Amino acid sequence: MTEPGMNKDKIANGSHIDEMTLLLYVERQLDREAAQGVSLHTQTCTRCLTLLRALDRESRLLTRSMLEQDEPLPARLAEFQEKVKRNMQWIWGVVFGLAILGVYALYTGYIEPWERQFEQAGFGSTNLLNLVVFQGAFWKGWQSMFSLFEVLAVMCMAGFGLFAFRRYLRRGSALAVLFAGFGVLLAVATPASATEFRKGDTVNVKKGEVVKGDIFATGEHIRIDGDVEGDVYAFAHQVDVTGHINGDLICFAQAVRVSGVIDGNLRAGANNVTLTGSVERNVMVWNETFNLDANGKIGRSLTAGGETLTLDGKIGRDFLGFAESTNISGFIGGSVREQGNSLSIASGAEIDGKTVFKGHKEPNVASDAKLGSPLEFTMLERRHEARGGGYYLWRVIWTGTFILFGLVLASLMPKFAVESVESAGQIGASFGLGVLVFFGVAIGSLIACITIVGLLVGISAFMLWLVMLFAAEVVVGGIVGQWIMGREDEFWPFFLRVVVGIAAVRVVTSLPFVGGWAGFIVGIWGMGAISLALYRRLQPRLAPNIPPAPMPTLSNPLPPNTTVGGI
Amino acid sequence: MSAPGKTEPTELIARARTGDTQAWGDLYREFAPAIFRFCRRAMPTREDAEDATMEIFMKLRDKLIQYDQTRSFTAWLYKVAANHCWDMLRRRKARHDKDMDDVDDVALECPEPNQLEKLIEERTSEEVRKALDTLGMRARMALVMRYYSDMSYDEIADGLGVRRQFVGVVLLRARHELRQALGENSALAVGGTR
Repeated sequence: MTEPGMNKDKIANGSHIDEMTLLLYVERQLDREAAQGVSLHTQTCTRCLTLLRALDRESRLLTRSMLEQDEPLPARLAEFQEKVKRNMQWIWGVVFGLAILGVYALYTGYIEPWERQFEQAGFGSTNLLNLVVFQGAFWKGWQSMFSLFEVLAVMCMAGFGLFAFRRYLRRGSALAVLFAGFGVLLAVATPASATEFRKGDTVNVKKGEVVKGDIFATGEHIRIDGDVEGDVYAFAHQVDVTGHINGDLICFAQAVRVSGVIDGNLRAGANNVTLTGSVERNVMVWNETFNLDANGKIGRSLTAGGETLTLDGKIGRDFLGFAESTNISGFIGGSVREQGNSLSIASGAEIDGKTVFKGHKEPNVASDAKLGSPLEFTMLERRHEARGGGYYLWRVIWTGTFILFGLVLASLMPKFAVESVESAGQIGASFGLGVLVFFGVAIGSLIACITIVGLLVGISAFMLWLVMLFAAEVVVGGIVGQWIMGREDEFWPFFLRVVVGIAAVRVVTSLPFVGGWAGFIVGIWGMGAISLALYRRLQPRLAPNIPPAPMPTLSNPLPPNTTVGGI
Repeated sequence: MSAPGKTEPTELIARARTGDTQAWGDLYREFAPAIFRFCRRAMPTREDAEDATMEIFMKLRDKLIQYDQTRSFTAWLYKVAANHCWDMLRRRKARHDKDMDDVDDVALECPEPNQLEKLIEERTSEEVRKALDTLGMRARMALVMRYYSDMSYDEIADGLGVRRQFVGVVLLRARHELRQALGENSALAVGGTR
């Protein structure tokens, strides 16, 4: 071997050996012949021998200087592994904590109040689910749920913030700014307004009485005959409004009757709702029957879901309905969009906007009903009846789409794709985290849209959520493919497994009856795997209290009168 | 190349490869200080070294499956570390060294042996470390690869992306830079006569 700068001639001529050659000799990089030459020369040349020894000592000095443990392992590194462990514990703590909180909230927010109401209302034989859904106890917990989801939204925001600033987090100032920012966010709270609580068998705001502020009422029968200058939250067997509510009426009861005036919105979950008065803004009702009397008036839109909807009165704007049976004989200033079993538009009905109906039966439209445009009807087919050749053709097309999407993902982020698939292998962790992300991020982004966090963040988070949901099947396909064909990290073999896995997953999710549930599980599982991979990206995994480092020693120096072999 | 006297943690590695977090933690405990020191010597700042150490171990976790268990784990680990550090440095375009193609015919003056001996005798480890910090990226990386992690010339060539026969030149030039930094006013700084 010949190194640049090495001069064999000088060795042969008995002149001094150049430094390069001596260095290579010290480092055992010379071939046997050259090494022998150096060895012979340094037996007689003091200068070269001195230089050789100096170079060797220099090597030793370098090694010693570098290996010396002059500074301890930084705390950031020493605590790394423990931090991660703690963080993982924290994550699982959050997951299980949320689960426990959810169970507790379910009990205290829904079941226990319902039990109390059940006793008060005397609904001894009514179906539990029906009561939970339509009696209002179910809805009672929404406020606390919103608080919970607001917390989730803020947690998501904190996660984004930590992610964005993670490289600077070791700098105290950046950390201080970050937390100060969140502190300000949390500090900007909505000022509480005065709220009056009333409870009893009968709660009555009598005629002529004026309640300043919101009223929160629970009881057997709630009557609002007077004026309320605020919102009314009512939980009862029966709610009657004959007076005037300046704000919204939010109520959950078996029967709701409004013959007075509500300046704000009406939101109700009930068995039946009858509106003979007026609601100046919007109405959103989920009930068994909703009846908009001929004298009833809704200033803006109606959104209703239930079994029977009867609309004889006036709706200023649009109507969106999901009901088994809908009968329209009044006036609707905007469009009608209805999905259900049947729709009847009676004589005297007037609809200024479009009328769109998706249902199982042809709509019944009276000849003298006034429609702004011809009714658009789409016959809904029964779900399993729809699984003809077209259905499976579309499944194949979608499978191809997922494969293409997988190819794009794996090409753009090969490492992350592998990591996500690996994470999917940890089924428990992926699924647990998936549940949190699937529900938490979706609702958190919704909350973000309507709270201080902002629309942009909410929409961005939701779009990210959608992408994750779409990618979930690819990731699960990847791990299923690896189970089928074995693990492979090279791109094309890896991608082949993704393709096989996606095909397998699509087959399972196409099965009648169980396919939908399988798809749901795959979505949650995949989202969890992606989240886990993302989480790991953000978290270094290391450990503390390390013993002294391995001390590689430099090769022993060669005595001048020995030779070494080449490499 | 391997770390002499160091038993290869074969069982730990095997367990870590299966996803055993405890084994992974033990591996980290065993090797993190050495890798941190490696990075500390190779990278310009302490924070860079900390970042690099964390990233190397994160990378290691992904790459562990690719590790050939018939070879030295320590050697492989240092190779991963060296590649990572060098990549980081290159990405920053902070290399002060010229490309090795330029040094093909550069002649290096030989130092005066006695003065070199004297210089080495007088300098402490701490002074050497400080001097190392002043070197160009390639010079420092080459010295660290060779004298800290005991990498072979082939591995250094592979890591630095130079031809194998230039590794000696890189090391020699690095030593000259180091001597210059160690003794600015010394005759050794400019090399002695042959």
